Amino acid sequence: MARLDFAALFDLSHPAHYLHWHFFQMSVANVIVILLMIAVFIVAILAPFPKRERTP
Amino acid sequence: MSEESGRGPSPEERRMWTTWVREHAVRALPPEKLLPDRQPSYVSSWIYVFGVATIAALVVVVVSGMILGLGGPSWWHTTSLGRFFNGIHLWGVELFFFAMVVHLWGKFFMGAWRGGRGRTWVTGAITFLVAIGAAFTGYLSQQNFDSQWIASEGKDGLNSVGVGAFFNVGNFGQMYTFHVILLPLAVTALVVWHVLLVRRHGVVPPYPAKVAAAKGSAATSSTEAAQ
Repeated sequence: MARLDFAALFDLSHPAHYLHWHFFQMSVANVIVILLMIAVFIVAILAPFPKRERTP
Repeated sequence: MSEESGRGPSPEERRMWTTWVREHAVRALPPEKLLPDRQPSYVSSWIYVFGVATIAALVVVVVSGMILGLGGPSWWHTTSLGRFFNGIHLWGVELFFFAMVVHLWGKFFMGAWRGGRGRTWVTGAITFLVAIGAAFTGYLSQQNFDSQWIASEGKDGLNSVGVGAFFNVGNFGQMYTFHVILLPLAVTALVVWHVLLVRRHGVVPPYPAKVAAAKGSAATSSTEAAQ
């Protein structure tokens, strides 16, 4: 019977990639998470919220 | 019980601490306030969803953590089911912090401490700080090389701020107790307190629109001038 392995989506068997710019130093993974949080924050403010019809 | 017969507590019952607690609790949080069936219209925005999303993630984290605790380190490292729940626990924490940070940003820009909501804001901020400690002790409880590396780095950090005598990050038993009992209890208690304060004081309304406020003041001044 074939064994089904769920490998990591990204190869994690190496040191993390880092962004380094003057004093700023952060792993790429953390930068992506922060950018995602900012994007979700903006979408949460701008996206219309579904309205529910209320029966009297 | 005298209240069931339609009259208030007798003087003797009035002296009981249970009567005092019950009356204060019902006065502070009457059932219609505790479990409301309607919310103000301004709550219909996605930005108000992230508080309850944080709580949902916390439930996943606590339940998956209980299952991991039952299995133990060898189970969560070596079996496929253990690794699955280990992954659920990790991604639950990722979502917990993700939702909590968006919630924090939203509440910061709303000025959510306005209108007597200072304690609601402060309990939320303290929950955030305590949750960071819970996540840190979780990293230390992994029982792998990653946790050893984090412990050796964290030890220097804690020593540098002068609390190294109280927290030995190299002591797995101490860190595991912090992670599975003390800090989860603290986070849960703070979240319950935070939510009860939200129910008591209500969700903070948005800032008044500047255009409407300006028009309102212009209309008032013109009315006053006409009088």
